[in-house]
Amino acid sequence: MRVSLQQELDQLEASLQEEGALVLRALRGCLNALERQDAELADEVIAFDDEVDDAYIAIEEGIQSLLARQTPVAIDLRNVLAVLHINLHLERMADYCVTVAKLTKLVQNVPSDPMLAEALEDMGVRAEEMIQAALDSFANRDVESAETLVEMDELIDGANRRLVHQILSLSADPELREWGLRMLLVSRCLERIGDHAVDIGEQTAFLVSGQFREFTDASH
Amino acid sequence: MTIIESPVQVAQQQARELPPPEQREVVFDVSALTVSYGESPALMNVSLDVYKNFVTAFIGPSGCGKSTFIRCFNRMNDLIPSAVVEGTILYRGQDLYGRDVDAVEVRRRIGMVFQKPNPFPKSIYDNVAFGPRVLGMTDDLDGRVERALHQAALWDEVKDRLKDGALGLSGGQQQRLCIARCLAVEPDVLLMDEPASALDPISTTRIEDLMHDLKREYTIVIVTHNMQQAARIADMTAFFSVQIENGHRSGVLVEYDATPTIFTKPADKRTEDYVTGRFG
Amino acid sequence: MSVAASDAPVRSGRRRGVWRGRIFVALLLLSMAVGFVALGTLFFDVLSKGLAYVDPVLLTNPPSSNPDIAGARPAILATLYLGVLLILFTVPIGVGTAVYLEEYADRNRWYNRLLELNIQNLAAVPSIVYGILGLAFLVRGLGLGRVLLAGALILTLLVLPTVIIAAREAIRAVPGSIREGAYALGATQWQVVSRQVLPAAIPGIATGSILALARAIGETAPLILIGALTFISFNPTVMGPFTALPVQIYNWTKLPDPQFKSLAAAAIIVLLIMVLLLNAGAIWLRNRYQKRW
Repeated sequence: MRVSLQQELDQLEASLQEEGALVLRALRGCLNALERQDAELADEVIAFDDEVDDAYIAIEEGIQSLLARQTPVAIDLRNVLAVLHINLHLERMADYCVTVAKLTKLVQNVPSDPMLAEALEDMGVRAEEMIQAALDSFANRDVESAETLVEMDELIDGANRRLVHQILSLSADPELREWGLRMLLVSRCLERIGDHAVDIGEQTAFLVSGQFREFTDASH
Repeated sequence: MTIIESPVQVAQQQARELPPPEQREVVFDVSALTVSYGESPALMNVSLDVYKNFVTAFIGPSGCGKSTFIRCFNRMNDLIPSAVVEGTILYRGQDLYGRDVDAVEVRRRIGMVFQKPNPFPKSIYDNVAFGPRVLGMTDDLDGRVERALHQAALWDEVKDRLKDGALGLSGGQQQRLCIARCLAVEPDVLLMDEPASALDPISTTRIEDLMHDLKREYTIVIVTHNMQQAARIADMTAFFSVQIENGHRSGVLVEYDATPTIFTKPADKRTEDYVTGRFG
Repeated sequence: MSVAASDAPVRSGRRRGVWRGRIFVALLLLSMAVGFVALGTLFFDVLSKGLAYVDPVLLTNPPSSNPDIAGARPAILATLYLGVLLILFTVPIGVGTAVYLEEYADRNRWYNRLLELNIQNLAAVPSIVYGILGLAFLVRGLGLGRVLLAGALILTLLVLPTVIIAAREAIRAVPGSIREGAYALGATQWQVVSRQVLPAAIPGIATGSILALARAIGETAPLILIGALTFISFNPTVMGPFTALPVQIYNWTKLPDPQFKSLAAAAIIVLLIMVLLLNAGAIWLRNRYQKRW
């Protein structure tokens, strides 16, 4: 029944998952560039964002066309709305990767603190795990695994706070000050990527339950 | 890390499997078609192309001439004595209304399904076999009937009662029987004049899914007053409207484009008013 | 607004309406009763007078001046032959005309409109006029003489308009959607008519023809005019002199002997049975093949 509607919904979701894969590659790219202080790689990551933007626009247009033509209701409608929101979150995540890459370029020849660099790498890995978990839970319509994203986000948030303190203590050393400030922003980007992953998890819950709710309130 | 390779074109996936304009094959080429019943024209100066293996929908308010238009494609307007057809329709390059064109042959190649299902008061088998019989296609009649019923997604429901009367079927089944009847003579084109408007929603969905399958082999043209239906199933949509000139009402073609365009960003304000429900 | 005040006018209005309805129904029943009572009296009268005389003698003997051995065999046979010939003539001509008028004729042509007008008129012409017509053109003009065939032809003309009208109704009752569907499949006009329209119209045509026949076998005036003789003792032949049951009845009632009047009543019963059987046949046909579109 409604063969063409189902095909289009499946195609949209497949495209979305592919966009997610693109975002993961962008994240891994910018983390590598950061670790090795590789400006060339950073440039590639920045250029790569065009691919993500193309994917984003294509999905937007696909959704507009589907809504106009197929008038989906109930779970089909929630499916489309969820894809619409997740599309946006993915695109924002990719933009944060670009920001990280740009910051990497700015600290090219600036001395760095290896411990903090490792901490950032850990945060990055956590972010990667969250993105993967968010995409998987959406694909499997698994609300429970979506809810674990909250805990994972706590870890990133905690790491971010610790990093802020460490950078504050770093700022005593004038040589590392510049690097520290830039890394603060990088940490903030990674923390925001984590938040977007949680938002994706909330879309999974919305799709399954029909109710939109935040997983946690703002007080955390 | 090397430059990331170009990913699968998301856009290509989104696009429906339509060939681009250069690769489309034209089945009907309509130029300056005007149809009048008596004095006043019912349809004025219509020009468009219908493409092979596309579902093309004609939409518009009542009285805009879309039914008149579709009946030109299989010369059913010949049956109305007062109908006058001007302009040309080329079917695969041949003038449909040419001097030595046989209307019977036209109707074999270009079949029609009507708004209200009209099964003959005969058995299911005889209904589907009627076309082949009158056209002399009597070899392997059983095979033809079975294939047609399969194509119309009706075989499983009637295979054990082919000799039963067709009037005992439900509305949706009767309409699928009428489709099977058309398919039995191996047409090239299927014309459907509001095929689902007399049916319940479930039967309507089944007919729409059927059209989705059939368009792989046939070219389908459909008139519908339900624009959501056109939005769902048509590849190209033509919007007709009524024009009042000198006190005469006649139908005109306002816009003809790919369906997503008609329903997301139509070029003509009249089209937009119609599809948004603000008029008509 | 109190409930009581709005109650009163509504109630009395209803009372008036109810009584009007009841009076109307009573009047309808009365008119029906008049018809039934009249018919019932007639039947009763005929049955009481003639039932005793319905016996094999009536059916197998020729007429005679002796009421004890008089029968109506030649008349009954003639009526049967007339019926058969009637069907053979009227059905093809009547159905053919109806098919032409409904499927092929262009209504805008003057001769078709004239044809239509004439058929309506012919159905209303009194039967005796047909008798005069037959006498002038068939018996004398064509030189057929006073034979069974002439009688059959007259009755054909008499009944033809009715058959044509009945056939046209039956053909019109076939929905246009059936024709459209057949044309759309590539059938020619002849194929549409012969394979869809006529088969679907046959029950209506058959019913109409049988009803026309039932009326025709009771016709007396035209047969008398063209010379149905009253005293034939031999079995009729198509090209020979003849009589018919209604004529026989008419003549028996004219004879003084009261026994003949009873014989006439008996013959009426036979005729009525024939008519009733034909009508029953028509109803059975109609019910059996009734189409629900």
